[in-house]
Amino acid sequence: MSFSRRRFLGGAGAMIALPLFASLARPRRARGAAATPRKRFVGFYLPCGIVMANWTPAAEGPAWTSPILAPLDPHRAHTLVLSGMNNTPGRSDGGGDHAAGTGAFLTCTHVRKTAGADILNGISADQILAPVLSAGLTYPSLELGTDGGSSVGDCDTGYSCAYARSIAWAGPTSPLPKQTNPGAVFDRLFAGYDPDASAAEIARRQRYRTSVLDNAREQATALHAALGKTDQAKLDEYLTSVRELEQRVAQPINVCRPGDRPADGLSFAARSRAMIDLIAIAFSCDLTRVVTFMLGNAGSSNSHTQIGITESHHELSHHMGAQANLDKLTQINTWEVGELAYLASKLAAIDDGDGQTALDNTAVFCSSEIEDGDAHRHTNLPVVVVGGGGGSIASGVHRRQPGAAVADLLIAIMNGLGAPVTTFGDNGTRPLPGVLV
Amino acid sequence: MRRTVLALAVASIVSGCGGDGGDGDPGRVTLHRLNNAEYNNTVRDLLGTELRPADNFPADDRGFGFDNIADVLRLSPLSLELYEAAAEALITDALAVPTASTTQTFEVMSDASVGTALGTGWLFFTSGTASITVATPIAATYRIAVRAYGQQAGPDPARMSIDVPNRPTEVIDVTAVAASPGRYELTVPLPAGNVQLTVGFVNDFYDAATSADRNLWIDDVTVEGPLDAPVIDGGKRGRILTCPTLADRSCQSTILAGFAQRAWRRPVTPDEIAALLRLVEVATAEGDTAEAGLRLALQQVLVSPHFLFRVELDPDPRSLIPHPLTDYELASRLSYFLWSSMPDDALLAAAAAGTLAKPDELDRQVRRMLADPKAIALVDNFAGQWLFIRAIGDQDPDYTLFPDYDQALEDAMRGEARRYFQAFLNDGVPMDQFLTADFTYVNDRLARHYGLPAVGTDELVRVSLADSPRRGFLMQGAFLRVTSRPKRTSPVLRGKWILGNLLCTPPRPPPPGVEGLPDGMTATGSVRDRLEAHVTNPVCASCHRVMDPLGFGLDNFDAIGAYRTMDSGYPIDATGTLADGTPFADGRAMVEALAANPAVYRCMVEKLYTYTGRSPYRIEAIESIDELTKRFIAGGYLLPELIVDLATSPSFVARRGEP
Repeated sequence: MSFSRRRFLGGAGAMIALPLFASLARPRRARGAAATPRKRFVGFYLPCGIVMANWTPAAEGPAWTSPILAPLDPHRAHTLVLSGMNNTPGRSDGGGDHAAGTGAFLTCTHVRKTAGADILNGISADQILAPVLSAGLTYPSLELGTDGGSSVGDCDTGYSCAYARSIAWAGPTSPLPKQTNPGAVFDRLFAGYDPDASAAEIARRQRYRTSVLDNAREQATALHAALGKTDQAKLDEYLTSVRELEQRVAQPINVCRPGDRPADGLSFAARSRAMIDLIAIAFSCDLTRVVTFMLGNAGSSNSHTQIGITESHHELSHHMGAQANLDKLTQINTWEVGELAYLASKLAAIDDGDGQTALDNTAVFCSSEIEDGDAHRHTNLPVVVVGGGGGSIASGVHRRQPGAAVADLLIAIMNGLGAPVTTFGDNGTRPLPGVLV
Repeated sequence: MRRTVLALAVASIVSGCGGDGGDGDPGRVTLHRLNNAEYNNTVRDLLGTELRPADNFPADDRGFGFDNIADVLRLSPLSLELYEAAAEALITDALAVPTASTTQTFEVMSDASVGTALGTGWLFFTSGTASITVATPIAATYRIAVRAYGQQAGPDPARMSIDVPNRPTEVIDVTAVAASPGRYELTVPLPAGNVQLTVGFVNDFYDAATSADRNLWIDDVTVEGPLDAPVIDGGKRGRILTCPTLADRSCQSTILAGFAQRAWRRPVTPDEIAALLRLVEVATAEGDTAEAGLRLALQQVLVSPHFLFRVELDPDPRSLIPHPLTDYELASRLSYFLWSSMPDDALLAAAAAGTLAKPDELDRQVRRMLADPKAIALVDNFAGQWLFIRAIGDQDPDYTLFPDYDQALEDAMRGEARRYFQAFLNDGVPMDQFLTADFTYVNDRLARHYGLPAVGTDELVRVSLADSPRRGFLMQGAFLRVTSRPKRTSPVLRGKWILGNLLCTPPRPPPPGVEGLPDGMTATGSVRDRLEAHVTNPVCASCHRVMDPLGFGLDNFDAIGAYRTMDSGYPIDATGTLADGTPFADGRAMVEALAANPAVYRCMVEKLYTYTGRSPYRIEAIESIDELTKRFIAGGYLLPELIVDLATSPSFVARRGEP
């Protein structure tokens, strides 16, 4: 799709070197000495499990080593490796552990097994954090990934595609779909950015958009009254979305300089990089402070040809203990952690002021929907938290937490980032000890 | 909205009054958000646009194997935000005014510290730049030409830089000398607006010892373009702006009523038009033009629930008494079933005349629609999902094991499957040949892959398979590829597809923790040998015993659909037994046996019924499918007749409320 470039690349402004945080129309929050850190959260999803023998460090404490986690070496001080943790609500009901585990990834809720309209999950941690961390920003959260979804057939053994494709859930029946084309994300983030526009023009554009949405809301409200209850429920999704968009339109326009639009048609690995770059841009421009990112969907069948592996990831993950398969999976897992490390490097390059970087202020929760691809367990999961969470996360070590619940870890992270949550999901009852400073 | 009382065969409908399911209950279809394919097709037909905004919308969820099941088509805040952006892009595109190419000439002047005016141009005596601002009407390709010469000195020619937005600096050797200045061109894409171009002298040289001095003289800069101005379809604009005096309220009203009626697929009310006119006033009250106001209102039409959803109303939303759809609702049901798009003018006219639901007219319209090129949507969306044709290209085979597999082959396989389906949809071939036909469609690339004689063209042409072991759909490259792994065939996937999509008896999922056949871990035999050894668990065997033989029957075709007699050095054994005990000696015998099974034809009907957006498992659905199947078989397995029968059946043209 060719959206007009005029809006963000048009005119002479495209040649003026705007500083990254140019404040053309929007007074930024003052960043004084005592300012609250810009705390942020990222949920970073890896599909198909991990070769745990090559992930879990032997030693606790700061001197941990791990072949798969090696790419995080430059960020050891910001890395908290937690081993032995469980997300038991992710268990499937008679098959479909990829979808069930993915649905529960950030909700720690046992999802209802259905491929129909009656999906049921819980709210996800990122969506609890979104109104807390992103208050007053353009986007409460961004949902990003590399893959839209398979083009035919079932998603996973009787589970809705929503479970397999979405880790962000605004509520039990509201999966938040993700964007998977970096160019389209760019268009979305920087649409409406016209460096030539005056404040009056920007304000007028906002009034126009509001008028259009007002009409839409009135049309939907009138229609609502004439519908049966199932149809009303569908239209409620529309009305909710109109209200959210109206709030967004009322936000000050983003004036951050975006850089170049990513190309369309990128390969899987290039999409991953481009998306991570966009996460960094969204954070540096302070468009949002909450992002979820899926490096593939539940039980991903991506081929990792960027490292010479032509098999489908999912097929390979049923390794049957064969060394050749485990070696390839280890390569894939190491590449995946490399993408996480790339995100960490991008965050470390963002200056938040006060001597802090975005890496200091972000908590990145990274895990997979299952432990091991061959066994589909939801115990002993691969879990790593990257970033300081605004000084809240006790990073820099490997800690064994046998049997501890991921839900408790997410409570700790939410508490550390400023959300006063005491219970979470099906089995979160306390902030996991040893996570917060 | 006018509600037409229809004289259709309501007797069979009302006999089921009050019941939830069962005889005569038409059921109900949930408020249907346009899915991504429907959105793209609809804006194509509404606006004449080539934009495909939905390609970047979130992927649609699927139910029962199809992505047009309203119950699972959700709408999120992200979707609405993208609908809003798409509406703006679409209306901008539709109202674009054709742009003529022009040539603009600019004098070059820079700072006295780096040069001086000389003759008609500017002489840079040291490195420096000069900028000009070019008004570009649209984003397009432009030709920048600079007349220049160098006062040459030192080892290199004078070099000139040209900077344009969003590109690396272009550096050009200016070898011309004062006696005959050169013309230096650069053809580049430029954004729309006021674009700054900067030319400069980059390699100043002066040798004090010899007084050798290199300078650059630039005469002027001409910018010609847009060179490749998109051929703007003035008709797109004219189709929407149907009257010339945009500032007149009556003209605005005409434009908005005409557009909204097509976009919302029904007549619009005076109140609805008044609300749209108020949006025009919002803009004109701000001092904007009437056209700007109309744009706003037109965008609103495209973010309206009446556009994004297919609305069907019940006179009483809580009543279970079936009622006929209005003619306009029926027009949309037909057009989204057969075209995955909005009704055309002829359908809307029939609805306006109140004649659409008359049995003769309905039959005539359905046949007209099937003959329309837009019926290709049944290939894209129905066959694409039922037959998994859409999946080809999702995953590449291992390029070391299958070095022959390339884009041309993949395209030919996809084309073959699509064209083959059209033989049944358009050319009158009965569906009882679908699994056994002794013809297919190949081009030279695919003929080579299949071991058939060359056909002498890159186009797909119909060929006989009389001298080939291939027969029917299950032995085509697309099916064989999408039911294989990257490195090997999967008899399990092939069998699973046949059970689920050809017999409508999908196997139960495997028990937890029991999955998969590793690649080459223990090369103790063919895939079949390894699979048979693997399936020893009685729980697994209960399904695999039914599923795997269907795949074994196709074992003569490898993971990219090439014919073979050996697998990993082991001879192929394509014998097996169907679930009903029928033995088969090879793939051809297996597909003959399958084609003789009436369950296959009921399953075809079930898939098509599901594709109308309804669950196939409700009581009323099962009854409808059984009835349709009887007539499908009795009538000679003709797919177009099945489609007509389905689209004119009582349950398709009616609905009811819910308690």
